[in-house]
Amino acid sequence: MDCHQQHQFKHRPTGIKKVLLMGNPNVGKSVIFNRLTGLDVVTANYTGTTVTYHEGLIRHQGSQALLIDVPGIYSLNVQSKAEEVAVSMLNAGADLIICVLDATHLERNLSLAFDLQNYDIPVVYSLNLSDVARRKGLEIDTKLLSQYLQAPVFETVAVKNLGVGALKHIIFQDFPKVNKMQVHNPIEKSQEIVQNVLQENDVELSLLERFSDWCIKPKTGIPIMFLVLALALGIIVGGGKAIRSIILLPFVNQIYAPLVTRIVERFVTDGIIYRVLVGEFGVLIKMIEWPFALILPYVLLFYIVFSFLEDSGYLPRLGVLMDGIFRKMGLPGSNIIPFILGYGCAVPAILGTRASGSKKERIIVVTLISIAVPCTAQTGAFITLLGDRSLFALLFVYMLSFITIFFTGLLLNRLLKGKSRPLILEIPNLLLPDFRSLSKKIWIKLKHFVKEAQVPMFFGILLAGLIVETGAIIWIGTALEPLVVGWLDLPKEASLSLLLGVIRRELAVMPLLEMDLTTIQLITGSVVALFYLPCISVFVILVKEFKAKIAFLIVLTTFFMAFFIGGLVQNILNWVM
Amino acid sequence: MHLYAGKKHQKYILNDCPNDQLLFAMGIRNGLTVSIVTKQPIGGPIIIRIKNREIAIDKALACHITAKAVT
Ligand SMILES: Nc1nc2c(ncn2[C@@H]2O[C@H](COP(=O)(O)OP(=O)(O)O)[C@@H](O)[C@H]2O)c(=O)[nH]1
Repeated sequence: MDCHQQHQFKHRPTGIKKVLLMGNPNVGKSVIFNRLTGLDVVTANYTGTTVTYHEGLIRHQGSQALLIDVPGIYSLNVQSKAEEVAVSMLNAGADLIICVLDATHLERNLSLAFDLQNYDIPVVYSLNLSDVARRKGLEIDTKLLSQYLQAPVFETVAVKNLGVGALKHIIFQDFPKVNKMQVHNPIEKSQEIVQNVLQENDVELSLLERFSDWCIKPKTGIPIMFLVLALALGIIVGGGKAIRSIILLPFVNQIYAPLVTRIVERFVTDGIIYRVLVGEFGVLIKMIEWPFALILPYVLLFYIVFSFLEDSGYLPRLGVLMDGIFRKMGLPGSNIIPFILGYGCAVPAILGTRASGSKKERIIVVTLISIAVPCTAQTGAFITLLGDRSLFALLFVYMLSFITIFFTGLLLNRLLKGKSRPLILEIPNLLLPDFRSLSKKIWIKLKHFVKEAQVPMFFGILLAGLIVETGAIIWIGTALEPLVVGWLDLPKEASLSLLLGVIRRELAVMPLLEMDLTTIQLITGSVVALFYLPCISVFVILVKEFKAKIAFLIVLTTFFMAFFIGGLVQNILNWVM
Repeated sequence: MHLYAGKKHQKYILNDCPNDQLLFAMGIRNGLTVSIVTKQPIGGPIIIRIKNREIAIDKALACHITAKAVT
């Protein structure tokens, strides 16, 4: 998810074999990559694109080779960014290609295999997911397949590390020049090959496959969807609260804060510096408490749940189920993925819309995410703020978010010109994710969060401390009084949230924690924070990805909606209760 | 008839697919035998099975695919 960064292999060794790892999407390439390489892996952007790829070193009996994980593609027709990248990687030359084939979808996978025949690079094939194939009653004659493809074929089960050793071994062998086959009619050829090498036996559907069917049939799929969402929410909210209150908060409140306070007291004991460092918004304490004790547990759990769903292949099923509703907003259901990604962080979600989708679709998705999808950090802040007071308040804020997304989507679909794409999507196998790849992925995302959040958080809290301790808050509070007190019925100091919210989304929520608010005020504050400006990084991405005019329009919309809906909710709640 | 009008669990042979990039990329072409797995409500996609692949196709697109029931 650290896709907007450029890395370089620091000590990229020269003069070693260069191996390209290729395959269709979802064939288990990442798992194989992780099994073949060690820990020294870098994620990089392919020059000038948002397509990311990984590079790593393979070590084997004292030798090394460089493995490049080429983006997953169906063919080399150069229709998408990913295909462009793959072709230029091939043109740059390599010593070997490992082409991963999905044993459960052999016919479809062969077209990429044929396309690779046009390059003068030796290929070895990994026939992956062979355990799933067997479960489905598919028997593949690998010897015969190897004859057809004129190259070695290894059966692998990447998640169980079966066959990966043999693959590793062959990388370091010498490859004689091979006669590549000429394929004139790829469709007929792949049919011919599959007819000869594949035998389909009737087997009883496994539990996982039956479950997979239930997931896409509306009658069972919709209840399953709610169950999955409830479970995800339960894990994130409940688990986060547990980690927070059992481990992290005691640590901060009983060990860290007293310790830091005591150290600071050696130098200063009172006055503005003391209070800025360890007072109400003491930067030395809050910079640990807010991001690590209050937010990080939720971020961690969100990424665990999200990565699990992503790797299990459930998300495309969700996309199919939601397509009908998404259509009303002018979006194909597959856009559920950037949305869910947006609940993590809007930056990768916005970048992710780049590869696919019409302009109209992109603007709708990006606007909706910027307006009403809270990122994990903000979700963590909401749970901390509201979850302890009233679960109902928390649900209310989220329901409001969903309703706003839907109606704003309807409106945008009407207002914007242009068309949206029809949905067409292959439903991948439902699988149990691989623990190793999963944990690596989560680790990378977590590291990225800490790196991204720490510096703005520090300055935000410092700013808050200074504003409060210098008394500037009184002045700002008075200036914003008609809005904050008059219209939103919040205390004057809440204007601090509005200032800090410019920096990061959760900073619009956190200051409210330190104030003594009624439940209605908490809800109002959260609603304003929810719709309020996206954070600075998102704004930068918006300007980069769209015209500045569109970025400003989106930001202005969020600004006005925040106060409009916030005030409306406050007035209605106070009137009703 | 067009594919979207098809019945669940029934097999069909596709005999006229529109010339569409997306369909082509997914390997959906004339002469394939498909079965209909399910249809999603409120204008959602139709899900077809080709051998052991399952593919969701937009309602609008599926309405332009001509198919014949296999008996
Ligand atoms: N059962 C089984 N699952 C696999 C195998 N290889 C990969 N997977 C799973 O397939 C899913 C997709 O794999 P991934 O490596 O992310 O696919 P990529 O898109 O090709 O990188 C993940 O949930 C993996 O855990 C395999 O050989 N057997």
